[in-house]
Amino acid sequence: MEVSVLPIASAHKEKLISAGYTTLLSIIGVSASRLAQELIIPHREAVEIIKVTLKCSRAVGLEGTHAVLKGSRTAWEMLSDEQNLKLIRTGSEDFDGILGGGIHCGQVTEMGGVPGIGKTQLGIQLAVNVQIPVSYGGLGAKAIYIDTEGSFMPERAYQIAQACIMDTWENLGFSRKEIEDCQEKMQPDHFLANILYFRICSYTEQIAVINYLDKFLEEHKDVKIVIIDSISFHFRQDFKEMVQRTIVLNEMSRQLMKLAERFAVAVLLLNHVTAKHTEGSFQLTLALGDTWSHSCTNRVILYWDGNDRHARIEKSPYLPSASAPFSVTGKGIRNAIAHCKRLRMM
Amino acid sequence: MPMMPENPVHLPVEKLSLGCPVLDRFLGGGIPFGFVTELAGEASAGKTQLCLQIVLSAAAPRSSGGLSAASLFISTEPPFPLRRLLSLSSDAAPLDHIFVRSAFSSKELFDLLNHVDLLLSLVRHSSDRRIRLLVLDSAAALFHTDAEDAVHRSSELFSVAAKLKEQARRFNLAVIVTNHVVDVVDDGSKGPRIGNYMNLSSSGRKVCPAMGLAWANCVNMRLFLSRSAAEGNVVDIDGCTMLERKLQVVFAPHLPEGSCKFVIQREGVFGVGNQALIPTSPQ
Repeated sequence: MEVSVLPIASAHKEKLISAGYTTLLSIIGVSASRLAQELIIPHREAVEIIKVTLKCSRAVGLEGTHAVLKGSRTAWEMLSDEQNLKLIRTGSEDFDGILGGGIHCGQVTEMGGVPGIGKTQLGIQLAVNVQIPVSYGGLGAKAIYIDTEGSFMPERAYQIAQACIMDTWENLGFSRKEIEDCQEKMQPDHFLANILYFRICSYTEQIAVINYLDKFLEEHKDVKIVIIDSISFHFRQDFKEMVQRTIVLNEMSRQLMKLAERFAVAVLLLNHVTAKHTEGSFQLTLALGDTWSHSCTNRVILYWDGNDRHARIEKSPYLPSASAPFSVTGKGIRNAIAHCKRLRMM
Repeated sequence: MPMMPENPVHLPVEKLSLGCPVLDRFLGGGIPFGFVTELAGEASAGKTQLCLQIVLSAAAPRSSGGLSAASLFISTEPPFPLRRLLSLSSDAAPLDHIFVRSAFSSKELFDLLNHVDLLLSLVRHSSDRRIRLLVLDSAAALFHTDAEDAVHRSSELFSVAAKLKEQARRFNLAVIVTNHVVDVVDDGSKGPRIGNYMNLSSSGRKVCPAMGLAWANCVNMRLFLSRSAAEGNVVDIDGCTMLERKLQVVFAPHLPEGSCKFVIQREGVFGVGNQALIPTSPQ
């Protein structure tokens, strides 16, 4: 299928073709941010192009010329699937944009912010999003949720799963038949059951669970994200020796990096922030100190700017330092609502 | 023993009623178990009264919407308001299962909580009334001595919180802690914003919950109780005018931003109106 059939602006078509994207398949494997960069268009438009492409290729695959071969896949498709497999979307395209498309499998990502900024919401959202079936552009995998604070609420996870299911159907325009086919899988309860939940109440338990993950992930290859909410709570209590704390934290981070790489899982660590006051202003830094700050591949700070939530890349070996607004809605993590729109709704 | 993950579908979802259907609806059913809930507000905002009402709701028999459960009320600001407890209680709630203890230092609180562990594991399997609610009124009183060593204070806060959370989880307790507020001075030294509101105010003053950013990390949910300014709004109920008060969700993992008006009457603390949930942002 050629790009010319896509129902998109002709200017975009020209840009696609001149950048070498001549077939639908060639677009599918590309991340939105890369496409935006190559075509020099806003990220939003790149996302739109990819969405339209996915929709078209699906429609063609169903009714069109490939009917005989339905069920078989080309190597190209498999390769592009594999590339897609590496990312778990946050639910906000702007947020995904600064992360290079989403949370990366095989890496340790740390996110921190003040209480109420949405850390647990992000954790639950990613535990849900990792489960979106492969045929719908997700990973079709399971999540491990290590809850050290007791803030995981099943009722909230249910809401987010429900909204995720609705959005998946809506955005990709599925037929009634398809919806019926996957009715069983696309149930909030099914999503909840695929969140493997560990509640731990002390730092010794936390270390024990993390050490146990090596064996557990070996037996559960379908897990693609490990979320620890939060990494810091039990390490901010009285430690007799701070040196001992540093040793324990170092060992833990080494273990987490190893897990991420060995099993190609995304590791998401949620952290607290502390405020450093200097001359009338303050700066937010992720908790656990300087040594710990070297432990994660990517570090993201979540903060308030006026009435909007923002995320900023604090440290990453390959992502440019950037920030993006996001919001926490009844449905979960989404793009920030434009200011004028919000005023109207009020 | 191998560690086994749990299925979130099977986690307990029961909640503890606040003793008022409007407030219950506002909070998505009530106070969650296995969870630390903070009630923050100025003196006379209604924190202690609401705690007493919840204690009575836990004690009430199941036939009248209660839990037939015992509670432990740890008071750090004596005297314990016994008179008010009596005036709030109806015959439905027996008072002999409300244990009251006082604690005057963080050390005393630790010792007490360790005893509670023992107590709870002993009665765990007995058919006797189980303790399902632990109230700490207030947490701020124990920690507001200006500790010179801020690092030490914050690690103490985390230790207390970890203990409370562990008990909440192990014995499926609802834990409620109250907190004071401090005035916010607009001199540019304001700390980071915490939660859904840029500013919180009570009796016309700008305030914020005490014990800072560290403690805010220690609770699962923060509710803010406030009074309108003295010359401010009043609510008319059955011909009586009452001071309008407000309950706000500052942060909670399962609730959107929202506020609910309430009044305090002789009979108790009651939410006002059917529009229990007034979302101020599109949810």
